[in-house]
Amino acid sequence: MTVNPQGHDGGPILPGSPLARALGGDVVPPLAPGFADRVLAAAEARPAPLPELRRRPGRWSGWRTGRRLAVGVAGVLVLGSAAAATGLLQQLALPVPSAKVVWASIAGTAQATPAAPPAPVVVATPATPAKVEIDGPVDTPEELGEAFRRVDEARQGRRAERAQIIDQRIASEIERRRAAGLKVPTPQEEARLRERIAAAKARREQLADQRIAVRREAMQRKIESGEALTRKDIAVPARARQPLAEGSPDFEQLRRMSPKERRAALQTIPPEERRALVEEYRARRSGAVPLPAPSPSASEAPSPAE
Amino acid sequence: MNASGKPSLNQQIVNSGEDGPWIERLAARDSGALREVIARHSGRLHRIAWRMTGDAQEAEDIVQEAMLRLWDQAPRIAARHTLASEGTGFRLGAWLQRVVTNLAIDRLRRTRRLTGGEVPEQEDEAPLADAVAEAREDGSLARALIAALPERQRAAIVLTYYEELPNAEAAAALEMNIKAFESLLHRARMALRQAFAAQEGAQ
Repeated sequence: MTVNPQGHDGGPILPGSPLARALGGDVVPPLAPGFADRVLAAAEARPAPLPELRRRPGRWSGWRTGRRLAVGVAGVLVLGSAAAATGLLQQLALPVPSAKVVWASIAGTAQATPAAPPAPVVVATPATPAKVEIDGPVDTPEELGEAFRRVDEARQGRRAERAQIIDQRIASEIERRRAAGLKVPTPQEEARLRERIAAAKARREQLADQRIAVRREAMQRKIESGEALTRKDIAVPARARQPLAEGSPDFEQLRRMSPKERRAALQTIPPEERRALVEEYRARRSGAVPLPAPSPSASEAPSPAE
Repeated sequence: MNASGKPSLNQQIVNSGEDGPWIERLAARDSGALREVIARHSGRLHRIAWRMTGDAQEAEDIVQEAMLRLWDQAPRIAARHTLASEGTGFRLGAWLQRVVTNLAIDRLRRTRRLTGGEVPEQEDEAPLADAVAEAREDGSLARALIAALPERQRAAIVLTYYEELPNAEAAAALEMNIKAFESLLHRARMALRQAFAAQEGAQ
């Protein structure tokens, strides 16, 4: 439906009507002469039209195509680098060679894949011998070996304690002399002192080892002959372990003497026995060497004091 | 037959069908073709421009501007209509009418802006007293009645009444759909009648 009302006001202007006659009086003046020439002169003077900016679809110029390809390649490179940097390719099980490997493959200097590092040699550690229980008197070689092992273990601990005590005494003595303003041994003098202590200790332990070896051979012969050994036979009391020379004072006798008598008695015994007595006295005084139990049991570990 | 009683020119110059060959010659910078187009279309275009503006010099400038635009855009128009299907031929007369109408409307609006006058919400259809007196002196009452219309209503009256264009062609010149143009034409006729009635009452 068109909007063309045939009403009184909006209808067509009928020819011959007063309005048509009024509008008909409008006469258009003619164009000025030479109008066409002026237009032609203006057209000739106008510059040539510029080429269209937008190119037709489907016709890609070389530059535009090249730029799009470059942008696409750059985008792929950026995305690939980002994926490699974030570990995404490893998650997808895609191998990412390092720059060194890539360059080696380009330069032709690629080396064979290095052999896998040799597997660590597993050294078979000797199995710890089964612990032998000592039930009752020691009457088998296994039980005797176990008793010797326990004795050696106790001796090692005692040696470590002695070394620690020696270090503490040296340090405390140096500190005391320094506090008292006395002469303090130089590092060289301290080193010489320690060497002398170590030498005496080694000499002492050598004698002790020899005595222990003799005693252990005797005990092994007893076991082989079918005899049974008790704790008392293995762990000899300290007094009895080192029999003093004939006429030498006993430890208890020395202890009951006055300092003057004890000093005189010690001067009569050989230096090694005197030194052994003095060390035993110091060990007992410090409590490092416990006294032997009054009623030892064969199932218990023997006393380290031999 | 037009309003002045002269034989209509539509059958002579406008309805010439497709103007593809003319455009191709213009695109090839054939000045003879431009002269021919000016000779064939400038009369009607000048009448439209003159009735829209009421100024002979302004009307000539509008027609000249339309012809120069055709000269400049001929290569582009030729390329576009070469790619288009054969059913959509280019009509040179319709294109020029649209350009001239739009140029005239633009100049009228620009003139109104430059004068600084406020645009009334409702157009006063009654011509001013001095216009009426001038129209009586010149014997051109019609000029005053047309000049009192808004730009687009004025263009609707000029194209359909004076140039006797079909409504569809006039709507294309104003770049409107047919219903909107018929509504515009209806309002233009009412305004024109009211102005004429007011002028008759003033006598």
